[in-house]
Amino acid sequence: MTEAGPEIIDQVNQLMRAEFEIPREKLQPTSSLKEDLGLDSLDAVDMLVYLEERLGTKLDAERLAQVQTLGDVYLLAAASLSRGQA
Amino acid sequence: MKVFVTGMGAITSLGHGSATTFAALVRGESGIRAMPEWRTLNGLHSYVAAPAVDHDVSRIPRAVRRSMSRMSEMAAVASHQALAHADLQAGGGLNERRVLLAVGSTIGSPQIMETYFRKMFEKNGPEGQLSTSFFKIMSHSVAANVAASLDFNGALLSPNAACATSTQALILGWEMIRSGSYDIVIAGGADELHSMSVATFDIVQAASRAYNDRPEESSRPFDAARDGLVVSEGAGVVVLESESSVCKRGVRPLAEILGGAYWCDSSHMSQSSAATMAKVMQLTLERAGLKSRDVDYVNAHATGTVHGDAEEAKAIGAVFGEKIRVSSLKGHLGHSFAACGAIEAMACIEMMNAELLLPTRNLREVGAGCEGVTHIREISPSPTRRILSSNFAFGGLNTSLLISKV
Repeated sequence: MTEAGPEIIDQVNQLMRAEFEIPREKLQPTSSLKEDLGLDSLDAVDMLVYLEERLGTKLDAERLAQVQTLGDVYLLAAASLSRGQA
Repeated sequence: MKVFVTGMGAITSLGHGSATTFAALVRGESGIRAMPEWRTLNGLHSYVAAPAVDHDVSRIPRAVRRSMSRMSEMAAVASHQALAHADLQAGGGLNERRVLLAVGSTIGSPQIMETYFRKMFEKNGPEGQLSTSFFKIMSHSVAANVAASLDFNGALLSPNAACATSTQALILGWEMIRSGSYDIVIAGGADELHSMSVATFDIVQAASRAYNDRPEESSRPFDAARDGLVVSEGAGVVVLESESSVCKRGVRPLAEILGGAYWCDSSHMSQSSAATMAKVMQLTLERAGLKSRDVDYVNAHATGTVHGDAEEAKAIGAVFGEKIRVSSLKGHLGHSFAACGAIEAMACIEMMNAELLLPTRNLREVGAGCEGVTHIREISPSPTRRILSSNFAFGGLNTSLLISKV
């Protein structure tokens, strides 16, 4: 599994604040997208769009549908960027 | 069963809420300004509009707001205003009562449609579209979003009849409460500004072109120098309530709705006719059990178009005679389409309660064909008991509403 660096974490956190209005203090790797951050299935679709726009790379939509925590999103974003750069 | 108005909410080009808008109307203000950003649009000739004042949507939760276009946001804010005015609580406060929510718009959000299709063509498919786009485009978007913002579970209808939308909703509300089907009806409409609305009228030479450098001098309902309407946007929402509910809750009614009527003129899609306008006014009087002499003032739809204003003046004169006092508020507010009927009904109620009648802004010289009624040229102190307010839409959707002081 590709490790997520601070730049990716920062980009994902910025997205969460700007698009989903989530307070900074809630943005922890262990935060559950559903329980802690209040995101639902519609938000998951939009998160994919926003992540692809910001990162400039395609994400694995099926894998994104499986993620549970914010930390999982960091890792997915890092893996997608790594794959794009390979 | 009497039907009362107990709450009013509005976002207009002149302010937040009915009272603020009315105060600006009394001061003779105009919400119309230049739209320099439209000058780059090929084939467009009208560069004036009346944008709504800014509105704060931060109190609407993100999970609700994400499905809202500008028109739904304005409708939601106006609905909360109207409920607060009526001393009703959203959520359980509504859901435990027999309530019908009927709010609509001309179409789904044109701003979001433009964004959606620009991206669709750019990507040659739906790639990158947000999940909520369709919820802003669908024809019942305003109704669904207002319901969500009010946490409302109950009867929901979405009247979509362009310029007659909110008047249709008010008439429907009056009918539904009179029939005993509901105790409370929250009725209204909303529309947002977009170049498509001005283009629609500009193409048929019905949008104002001659006042692009003097925006406050247009529109000019009934005036000899009128040259078309000025587009606007906004939301108007009114709470209607049965007499028994008013008594039970101990609230003070603002006005009474005495009647209303719809009457379709299928002879032409866009050209209204005096005969069918007069028909809907006459029908409204009959449904209210009144004679024409019982009405003190007519608030005209008159948008400032050459044809429509003359036909309406002729219709009003035919039904009420030449002494009837008449004015239109489109010269102050522009034409807010689905919102205008509710906003104008509120202004009528404010006029009755303030005991004054508002003039038609920019009316200097009555145009040929617009004679035959008594035009109000300046603010007139006047105890007014009953007002007829009309709105007419494309497709021959003619509506009139009769409002009484309480």
